[in-house]
Amino acid sequence: MESGLMETYVMGIATEEEIQQVLSLTKTHPEFKNALDQLEFDMETLAQSMSIDPPAGTLEKIEQEINQIQRRNQALQAEPEPAFRYDNREQEYAKQERYIEVESESNQMRVNKAWKWAFIAVFVLGKIFLATAIYFYLENRQAQEQINELKIELKQKLR
Amino acid sequence: MFKAVLNIPPAEPKDIRWFYDRYAAMLLGYINGIVKDKQQSEDQLVKILTSFTQDFVAAEKSNQHIWLELRQYAQNRLNSAVLSDRQLIQKQSVSEPGLASLDDLQKIVFKAVYYHGKSISQLAISLNYGEEEIRNQLKLAIDKMRRARGN
Repeated sequence: MESGLMETYVMGIATEEEIQQVLSLTKTHPEFKNALDQLEFDMETLAQSMSIDPPAGTLEKIEQEINQIQRRNQALQAEPEPAFRYDNREQEYAKQERYIEVESESNQMRVNKAWKWAFIAVFVLGKIFLATAIYFYLENRQAQEQINELKIELKQKLR
Repeated sequence: MFKAVLNIPPAEPKDIRWFYDRYAAMLLGYINGIVKDKQQSEDQLVKILTSFTQDFVAAEKSNQHIWLELRQYAQNRLNSAVLSDRQLIQKQSVSEPGLASLDDLQKIVFKAVYYHGKSISQLAISLNYGEEEIRNQLKLAIDKMRRARGN
């Protein structure tokens, strides 16, 4: 009782050999069994001391979950087994009927890997065109400014 | 004597309300000790109690040791993600009033075993102590808590 065997057993970490030892001792030594029961009881009271009250509505949630499981099980049991005369196609159909299709159509698209390079090329070209457009826009703006300055200069000279 | 103390009459029906009234608060406290998050703990409580009661009723088990079984069931469900020993010790650093009477090593050993199901040999390796020492610390921790509760 002082070896810590009961504690490892009650904490659920006893080895197979230790479990056998405990089971054997409970049969042969009533005082060991009493001490083990007392320890189990104390562990339960310890858990009670660390308990937290669940929020309202928790029991209803659990009941709902259980009802759903039970309804699903009942539906599965109510469905008659396909007869042996069914061919494979009919059996497959019957099997499909038992399940609800949660998501039958995917909204994903599959693309061949070869398109990867095309997408990269389009991306790089897009960047080059964007840079070129910005460059020519700035060039154009600078040229416009220069023309305006020249016009002003010319007007002043003419006067 | 202990049948009366344990307060587990054998003929008691094991429906969900019975389980809920008896173990929901204890289980939520236990789950919260592992998960450390209120909302997640409540969600896990619903899942664990639902599946446990289904399995339990189906297996027609006796009333004895229900809490121990339920605790281990919850432990297995919640500890499927393997934590490294360092993570485990960091998680354990959160203080818990129920364990106030224990010293640091006893807290680490008790919580690693109680909440995470770590074995004596695993703890001996990760904490760099002998197996006998870890076993002794676990026993001391439980003895201290029992004494602190007047048992």
